[in-house]
Formats: sequence, C-alpha cells, structure tokens
Amino acid sequence: MKIIACYSNKGGVGKTATSVNLAYASAMSGRRTLLCDLDPQGASGFYFRVKPSKKLEGRAFFKDVESFTDSIRASDFENLDLVPANLTYRDFDIFLSRMKNNRSRLKKALKSVNSDYDVIFLDCPPNISLLSENVFKVSDKIVVPVIPTTLSVRTLEQLYGFFRNNAYQRKKILPFFSMVQKSKNLHKDTMVALRKQYKNVLGGSVPFSTDIEKMGIHRAPVLSYAAKSSAASCYGKIWKDIAAKAKIV
Amino acid sequence: MKPFSYSFSSTISSKKMKQKKPSGVPYMVNVDKGEEGEGVLLDTFDNELLLSGKLLLQRGNMLWLQNFNSGTFVDQQIDTDWSYVSDLEQGPVTLQLGMISKLRALISVGTVAVKKDSGTILDDEGKTRVRFNNLVFTKGKKSMGVGCTQPLRGYGKAHEDLKEWLLKLGVDPCPIATDLYTFVGLGDDLYCAKPVITLSSTATVKISAMIIIQTFLGVARRNEDGVIGDYDTEFLHDYRVSLRKVRSVLSLFKGGFAGDETSRLKNEFSELMQQTNTLRDLDVYLLDQSTYYKLVPTTTHAGLDVLFAGLKKTRKTEHKKVVKYISGKNYASRIEGLEKVFSKPSNLESGANSDANGRIFGCNLILKRYVKVSKIARLIDKDTDDEVVHQLRIHCKKLRYLMEFFTPFFPAADIKSLIKSLKQLQDNLGRFNDYSVQQLFLKTILTSGNYSSGKGLMVAESIGALTAMLFRLQRKERNLVMKNFARFDSSEIRDCFNELFNVEGTCQ
Repeated sequence: MKIIACYSNKGGVGKTATSVNLAYASAMSGRRTLLCDLDPQGASGFYFRVKPSKKLEGRAFFKDVESFTDSIRASDFENLDLVPANLTYRDFDIFLSRMKNNRSRLKKALKSVNSDYDVIFLDCPPNISLLSENVFKVSDKIVVPVIPTTLSVRTLEQLYGFFRNNAYQRKKILPFFSMVQKSKNLHKDTMVALRKQYKNVLGGSVPFSTDIEKMGIHRAPVLSYAAKSSAASCYGKIWKDIAAKAKIV
Repeated sequence: MKPFSYSFSSTISSKKMKQKKPSGVPYMVNVDKGEEGEGVLLDTFDNELLLSGKLLLQRGNMLWLQNFNSGTFVDQQIDTDWSYVSDLEQGPVTLQLGMISKLRALISVGTVAVKKDSGTILDDEGKTRVRFNNLVFTKGKKSMGVGCTQPLRGYGKAHEDLKEWLLKLGVDPCPIATDLYTFVGLGDDLYCAKPVITLSSTATVKISAMIIIQTFLGVARRNEDGVIGDYDTEFLHDYRVSLRKVRSVLSLFKGGFAGDETSRLKNEFSELMQQTNTLRDLDVYLLDQSTYYKLVPTTTHAGLDVLFAGLKKTRKTEHKKVVKYISGKNYASRIEGLEKVFSKPSNLESGANSDANGRIFGCNLILKRYVKVSKIARLIDKDTDDEVVHQLRIHCKKLRYLMEFFTPFFPAADIKSLIKSLKQLQDNLGRFNDYSVQQLFLKTILTSGNYSSGKGLMVAESIGALTAMLFRLQRKERNLVMKNFARFDSSEIRDCFNELFNVEGTCQ
C-alpha cells in the first residue's frame, strides 16, 4: 500500500481537484484506491456525492480503528472508496495533541485498511499543523499543486524550509504546476525558474480549465465526464509520473 | 455485507419497483434495460462455476460473468477461440475464473436468449447506494430471471432496504443458480466425479457392493460423451477412475458375489479399461510437457520437440481408436449389459458373504488392509527392494478405496481426516510410481525403432537426459517413503482406526 498526500499550505491551488482526479485515475488503472478527505470543508466528498455518516459525526475519528473503517464509503466508480470529511477534524489537532504517540495515530488508522487498498490518497487542509505533520511522516509522496505565481512559489519555499528544519524527507515532495495559463508570461517564466531550482517538479502540468471548474456541476472527476479534454489528459500524465516515482506496481 | 441473490419470473422494471417501494425508503430507483441476444451458458463438466456461485455466458465475442458471492458483474471481450481459462487474455472475467481447474475446459451448458438489466438505488444527491443486476433468460416461450445485489461499502442500510424491496416484488431467494441450469436443460442431476453414496446401516455386503458399483458405473457412463468429444482430458480420467473403482469393489468385497461370476466381471472391467490405457498414458505425458522441458538442459529441447510432436500425433490416432470403440455397438452392448447385471440383486449369484452386514464387513476389510499396510511399511528401509514399495502403494490405494466406499457408514469428518492422513503417503508413493512408469515408457519409445535415424539421435539424447532426471526424482521420492509412513503410523491414527473400524479387538 502506498500513501500519496495532496498538500499545499496555500488555499485555492487545486488540491481537491487534484486528489479527486488522481484517485480516479489510480482506480481506473485497476488499483484499489481510497481517498481520505482530511479537509473539514469536505469538497472531495461533495465531488463524489458522498455524505458523511451522521452516526459518525461527533465520534473521535482516529481514536479507534473501527470508527475509521466504518466511515469508508464506496464511490460510484469501481475500485474507488472514500472517507468523507468529518466535522471532528476541526478538533483533530486538539485531539492529537492530547494523545500520547500522537504522531503515529494516522499511521495506525491507515494501516488498518492496508490489505483493502493499493493506494491511499490524502486530501489535506491548507495549513501546517499536527495533522499535516502526521501526513508528512506517513506519506510515501506528497503531491503539491503550485500555481506559477509569486505567492505560490513562496509557499512552496516555506514548505521545503519546514521539511529541512524538521528533518523530514524532502524527496517526498513532488510539486507540479496547477491552473497554468500559458498566455501569461509570469506563469511561463515562473515555471522555467522553479524547474531549474527544484529537480523534483513533475513534468506534467494542469491548465486553468473550465472543464475542471465544471466538476462542481457534474459532481464527478473531470476524467469521468470529459476524458478527452486536455485537463483530463494532464491529470492522466501526472498520475503516471507519480505512480512511477512512488513505485506503485 | 453479503449480496442477495434471487430468481424471478417476470421482468423487474423501474415502474414495477416504484409501485412496490416499501414505505419509509427514501431512495430513487433506476433500471437500465439491456439488449437481448443469444448466449451460451458455460461451465466445466463438474460445474465448478455453479458450485462456486458464478454464472458465465458467452455472447458473440463477449464474456459476461455474474459473481453471486461478491455481487459483481464483469464483462470481457474475447478475440480467439478458447476452451480453457489459460487460453483467455488477462481481463476482469479471466481474473474471476482463476479458481477453475487448469485441466477442465469450459463447455456449453445450454443456449438461451439473454438480457441483462442493471439497476441502481440512488439517494437525494444522486449517489449510488446499492446496485443490482438482473439476467433474464428465454428459451422458447418460457423465461426466467436470476438477479443479484451488489452491496457498496458503507451503505449496509440501503442494501437491506433493497432486499426488502425485492422480496416485496415477489423474488425468490436462491444462493446459486441451479434452477437456471435446469431451465436450460441440464436437469437436476449435476455431475460429480465422487458422488455421495447413501448406504443403510443394515445393508448387506451384496447390496452395498451393488449400490457402489451402480453409482460408479453411472459416473463412467456420464463421461463417455466427453471422452468422444475430447473437450478435456478429465473426462477420460474420471471414466477410468470410475471403472477402476468398480473393479476394486469386485476384487475387495470378497464373497460378495459368487466366485466365478466375480472373476468374469473383473475381467470384463479390465478389458474395458485396457482400451483406453495408451490414450491416458499419452495424456499424462502431454499434460506434463512443460515440466519435462524444465527438467533437462536446453540443449536437449530440440529432441523433446520432436518427441512431443510424435506423441501428439500418436494421441490423435489413439483417440480415434477410443472414439470408434466407445461409439461402437460392441461397447454399447457390453456396458449396457453390465448396467443391467447390476440393476437387480437377483441378477447376480450370491457369494459366501453376500448376506453379511455391509458395515461390519467393511470394518474388517479396512482394518485388515490397514494392518497389511503397516506391516509392509514398517519393514521398508533404505535398502528394501523397490518392488516392496510398489506393493505398499497398491495396498495403500486399496485401503483408500475401501475407506471411500464405506464412508457412508461412518461419521464423515472422522473418515475424511483418516483419508487425508493417508493421502500424503499415497501422493509420495504415487509420484514414486509415476517416475518409474515414465522411465519405462521412455524406454519403450527408444526401443520402438521409430527414432533410430536422423532426428532420432536428437530424441534419444533427450530421452537419455530425461530418464536420468526421472530416475533421480524417483530416488528422491523413494527416500521420503519412510518419513511419510512414520507420520501416518502415529498412535493417534492407530487409535482412530481402532475406534472407527475395530468391531472385535485391537489391532497393532
């Protein structure tokens, strides 16, 4: 089982769209895939039309393995299941800080479904917290969408800095360019500069696309309703790159 | 969450489902009507698919598979003619057929018109909460349907609601699709190579022997068409094993019938089996072809190519002979005559033990054979002549047959565990014998003169290499016999034999 996190400490960069489409691409390639929506806004769940179970609301989510596995819901697509966002995530950091060995809680929960899935995606909230530190430790790769603008580049630098200061493995970070508008010189120049600076930047990039924006209307991955669109083929390419780098068989 | 499988008589449409929606169920239903076309229902002769809860259909160049254990329905395109699962390319159907015996071909159970409807139960967000698939089969003016739900993880409540909904529509729960096989004309009597035999505790030796013989004669006869059609090699294998069992009953149930009659019948069955000896030998060789290639250096593979090409050709000729024989009038009158003989006890003259109690008779036979096996095996050491090991194999086989024949008289679990404990030793002895027979067979080929010139030298070289390897393997098995017997010769097993079969005293 491989764990792929989709993370950025900046909001609105296309994390959820990335998680949803990469998880779909993974499932369609025959791998049993689980997407965990760790962002309390619950956008991943929204895109798959999955509601969190009312019963589970209020239960300490990662406290016991059972409540984690009970929360898994099948999506409408083969090989793809989802852990919808749960309101208790808001309190998740408080919960983790109170627990002993709190940094291994997420790992324990994910380990409990080890044999059920080949790939687990974590759609993370945009902050650096105890939860994200758990994510950094437990993930095999951390996919970071970067809009090729000054602010996004700055947050990527901050992330690398945080990894360096806390001795996390920086090679886990796999940035890729998101919401790219090739008509803008700023985007083009930033992409060239960042590729020079960071060798791990993925070759593929995702354009700013109305097909992706329509995910909210279709409530499905862009790969499922606009498979021939350029956005869909870009996600497909990025997934292949990640699968190769994470050695997903 | 287990899927719910069911049969139904009339089409289940969205409209019908909406009309019968149980109160309080908050979901919407959608049934997509599928296309209708002719399809062939496929299974192995011993119905491995049906018994494992799967239904396989071929429609043109598409395969459909409904799995009643998981509720999933998968399809796969096929581009070539195929008989065995190994002929299929990788795909979702092939993946689900992985459990099928490699030796068994998929053959037609029947041809039907078939239609697949897929249903989904949706919540207010349009999210699928549970799926179901209905297959409607039509033959002539009659039609029947089988369906299965596909539960989705995390939506157990919706699955329970759908189950209630379907039951309200009048479906009948059915764990496997046996009714469908009957519908397409297979009948209720599914084939089984080892049928469960029922013997009354008061049955006499003669009656017990007749019931066992009738059963295995029936099994042999059911394989005749498959032997002729040559769908796979298991038909001939089962045919021969069944006849061998009949012959064993005749020779082991001493005094069950009059002596002269027993000898005559034994000869009859031996003659029947002899007709297929060569074909079976060739089958065994050809089935093991890839193993033989792995045993010898690649430099001798060219010789093996010639050898196996020759064996394949011989098999064709040999199969033609067998077909001619089994389809002939002589065979029909002989086998029908034998069936008639064993149809009524009065058709056979009684022997000294005919009226004895079958169970007690069986106990004595098993125990005597067990003692014999133990006596021979305990004498075997590393220097004992191979002939003694062969004798041990034959006695073990007889012991196994006896235990199988008399299984109905004893608690199934106990006797099955004893048979299992014997199996390891038997497998060891079986391989020892196979390697010996194979060496002899190769020697016969060498001395046949068919490979004396040209490519013959190449073949001779391969046979030499193969014989050396088979000899080595035979020695390896020979050295394991003592260890395997020691395992079988435990005090627990001895106690178990005594407890089950000793009606008089204790055996050692």
